[in-house]
Amino acid sequence: MLETIKLSKRFKDKKVVDEVNLYLNKGESVGLLGPNGAGKSTTISMISSLLRPTSGDVKLDGKSTIKNSSEIRNVLGVVPQEIALYEELSAYENLKFFGRAYRVKKAILEKRIQEVLEIVGLKDRQKELIKTFSGGMKRRINIAAALLHHPQILILDEPTVGIDPQSRNHILETVQQLNETRGMTVLYTSHYMEEVEQLCNRVYIMDHGNIIASGTKDELLSILSSEDTILVELSNRSDTLMETIKALPKVLQVEETSEGFRIIARKGKSLLNDLVHAADKEGIQILNYQVEIPSLEDVFLHLTGKTLRD
Amino acid sequence: MGAFIKKDLLVFWRDRKEILISLILPIILIVILNFAFSGLFSDDKEIQLTIGFVQEDDVAAGVQQFKTTLEDMEMSVSEKEALIAQSTTLQPVQMVEEFLNNPDMKEWVTATELTEKEAIKQVENGELDAILKVPNGYTYHMLSNALLGEQSQSSLKILADEQSTEVTTLEELVQSFTNSLNMQFALESSEKQAEPILPQGGMEFVEESESYTIALYFTIAMGTLFPLFIAHTVSVKTVTEKRERVFNRILLTNSNPFHYLIGKIVSTLIIIWLQVAITFTIIQLILNVFPGKSLEFWIGLIAMFTAYTIAIAGLSALFTTITLYLQDSNAASGLFMLIVMTFGVLGGSFFPLDGLPEFMQMVGEYTPNGLTQTAVIDWVQFRNWSALGLPLIYLLSFFAACVVIATSMFPKRGRL
Repeated sequence: MLETIKLSKRFKDKKVVDEVNLYLNKGESVGLLGPNGAGKSTTISMISSLLRPTSGDVKLDGKSTIKNSSEIRNVLGVVPQEIALYEELSAYENLKFFGRAYRVKKAILEKRIQEVLEIVGLKDRQKELIKTFSGGMKRRINIAAALLHHPQILILDEPTVGIDPQSRNHILETVQQLNETRGMTVLYTSHYMEEVEQLCNRVYIMDHGNIIASGTKDELLSILSSEDTILVELSNRSDTLMETIKALPKVLQVEETSEGFRIIARKGKSLLNDLVHAADKEGIQILNYQVEIPSLEDVFLHLTGKTLRD
Repeated sequence: MGAFIKKDLLVFWRDRKEILISLILPIILIVILNFAFSGLFSDDKEIQLTIGFVQEDDVAAGVQQFKTTLEDMEMSVSEKEALIAQSTTLQPVQMVEEFLNNPDMKEWVTATELTEKEAIKQVENGELDAILKVPNGYTYHMLSNALLGEQSQSSLKILADEQSTEVTTLEELVQSFTNSLNMQFALESSEKQAEPILPQGGMEFVEESESYTIALYFTIAMGTLFPLFIAHTVSVKTVTEKRERVFNRILLTNSNPFHYLIGKIVSTLIIIWLQVAITFTIIQLILNVFPGKSLEFWIGLIAMFTAYTIAIAGLSALFTTITLYLQDSNAASGLFMLIVMTFGVLGGSFFPLDGLPEFMQMVGEYTPNGLTQTAVIDWVQFRNWSALGLPLIYLLSFFAACVVIATSMFPKRGRL
C-alpha cells in the first residue's frame, strides 16, 4: 500500500535519513522504533509530503507521491509529535476548523466530530478550550483531528510523549481499536519499546538515519537466539568485578543496572559458576541470578550497543 | 476559506491582551494625549498683541505714479485702460487695514494708528509689542508687482524691541496675509473676481476650509497607527502556528495554501475595520472630534479608512509570508515591529511630519499611514472628493503589490 524506496534527507552536510526502505501493507500496524534523533520524525515528514526528500521515493499503491502529494494527503491521517492545535479554541472549534480544512462536507462534519470525540473519549469536554486541557487530553484531541477525514493510513509520531499512564493507556487502546476494528493501517513511531510490542505486527528499528533491523517481533527476537540476557543482583558493585565479567570468554556485553549488572552472553553452559567465583574474589555476594526472556529492548541493545532512552 | 477567516477571528478574539491593546489602548491614548496637549492649541487665544499701525504710504500718489509708469509703456490704449481700471479696484493699504480690523483678529490684536516716532516711543516704553509699518511707495510697488510683473521693492515691515512669541506670531500672520494678497492680486490680474482671502485667528483659513483640533489630529494619528500593530500581531500569531506545527497540519489537510493567506488578509481587514470604527465612534462620543459633519463627510472618511484597512491587510499578508521563512519568532516579531515603528514615525503617527527633514516628510507621505493621515486631514478641511482619489488608488495599489509579493513568495509545498 505504502512504501519508501531509498528515502534520504540531508540537511547541509548531515545525512539525517539514509536510504530508508520500508513498506506498509493494508490493515497492518507497523512500528518505527528508535531513540531520539534517529530520523523517525524526518522520515514521517517525508512520507506525509511535508518535507521533500533529498533522494528516493515514497509510493502509494505503486505511484510516486513526490511530485503529486495531494493523493497521499487525502489517505493519510498524521498525528504530529507536537500538539498541533489552537490553544485558544475549544476542542470542538479545533475539530470543526480542521474538518472544514479537510473539506469534510458540512452535512456530515458534525457527526464526524462527535464520532472522533467518542473515539478519544472526550465528548463531554468538547466545549472547553484546549489550553485548559491536561497534556494527555491535548494528545487525544491531537489524534482526533487526524481522524476527521477517515484516513486509510494513520501515522502517529510519538503520540504518548510526556503524558500520564492513564492517558497513555487510552491512546494505545484507541490506536489498537482503530487498527483492529476499523482496519486502519497504522505506522507508529516511538522510543517506548513496550508500546510498539503491544501495538505492532511488524517493527522497523532505526538508528542514525538507517533501518538497522526489521521484521515481526519473533523475527527480531530470533536475532538474539544465540544469546542469553542475564540479570544479576549483587550485594554491592565494583568496577573490578565488571571488568572481570567482561573478560569472561562467553560474555558479549555488560551493562550496569540499579541493582547489579545486565549481561549478554552466548547461549550454552551457565555463567553462574564463573560469576560466583569472580564475586567471591571481590567479597561481593550474588543475591539473585535470572536468565531473562529477550525483548525488543534487548534486540536494540544488541544492535546498537545502547538502550532506546540513551 | 470561511473556516480560515473564522479561525483567525476567534484566535484574535480569545486573546484578551490583544483585544485590550487593539481596541481599548487607542481610545485611552487619544483621550490622554488630547488632554495633555490641548494647551498647545488653546494657547493661541491667550496671546494678546498690542501693535502700532504706521501708515506712511500716499495711496493717491502711488496710484498716480502707477498710471504715469503705464503711460510710458509700449502697449495698446485698451490694454492700458484695462490695467488702470484694475488698479483702482486693488487697494493694498485698505486690505491691510481690513486685515487688522477683521473681528477674529481683533480678539487678540489691538492695533492703533500712530506716527512712526510715537510708535517707536511706545515700543520702547513697553506699551506696544511691535509696529506694523506700511512704507511709502507700498501701493505703487504692489500694483507694479501684481499688474506689470515688476519686482516688488517694498513690503510691510514689522519693528519690535525684542523677539517674542507674540512678535513671531505677528510675523507669521503678516507673512500669510502677504501670501494671500499676492494670490488675490494674481487672481485679479487674471480677471477673476473674488473676495480677498484673509488669515483669521491662529490658523490660516483658505477658501471654505475648516480647522482641525488637537483631538482630531490624535484621533486620526492613532487611527492610522494602531492598525499597523494589528498587522504585526497577525504575523506573530503565524509564528506561533508555525512553531506549534499547526501550519503543517493545515498543509496536510490538502487545503490550498492561499486560503490560509486569504484568511489572514480578510480577518486582518475585519479586525482593523472594527478597530477603527470602534475607536472613532467612542472618541466621537467622548470628545466630539467631528462636530456637525455631513453624511458626505462620513462617507468620505469611511471610504478612506476602508482603503487604508485594505492596504494594511495586504501588509499583514506580506508579513505572514515572511514569517513562514523565518525560523526565529523573536526575529520575526522584531523585524515587523521595526517596520511598523518606522512607518509610524515617518507617517507622522507619533508627531506631525513638520518636525522631520524634507526628504523624510516626502517619504513619510508615501507610507500608507502617512498618506491616509494627510488625506483625511485634507478631507476634514476641504471636503474635496478629487483630493481623495489619488490616495485611494495608492492604498489599493499598495494592497495589490503586497498581495502579489506575498503570493509569489509563499512557500511551496515541502519547502518549509
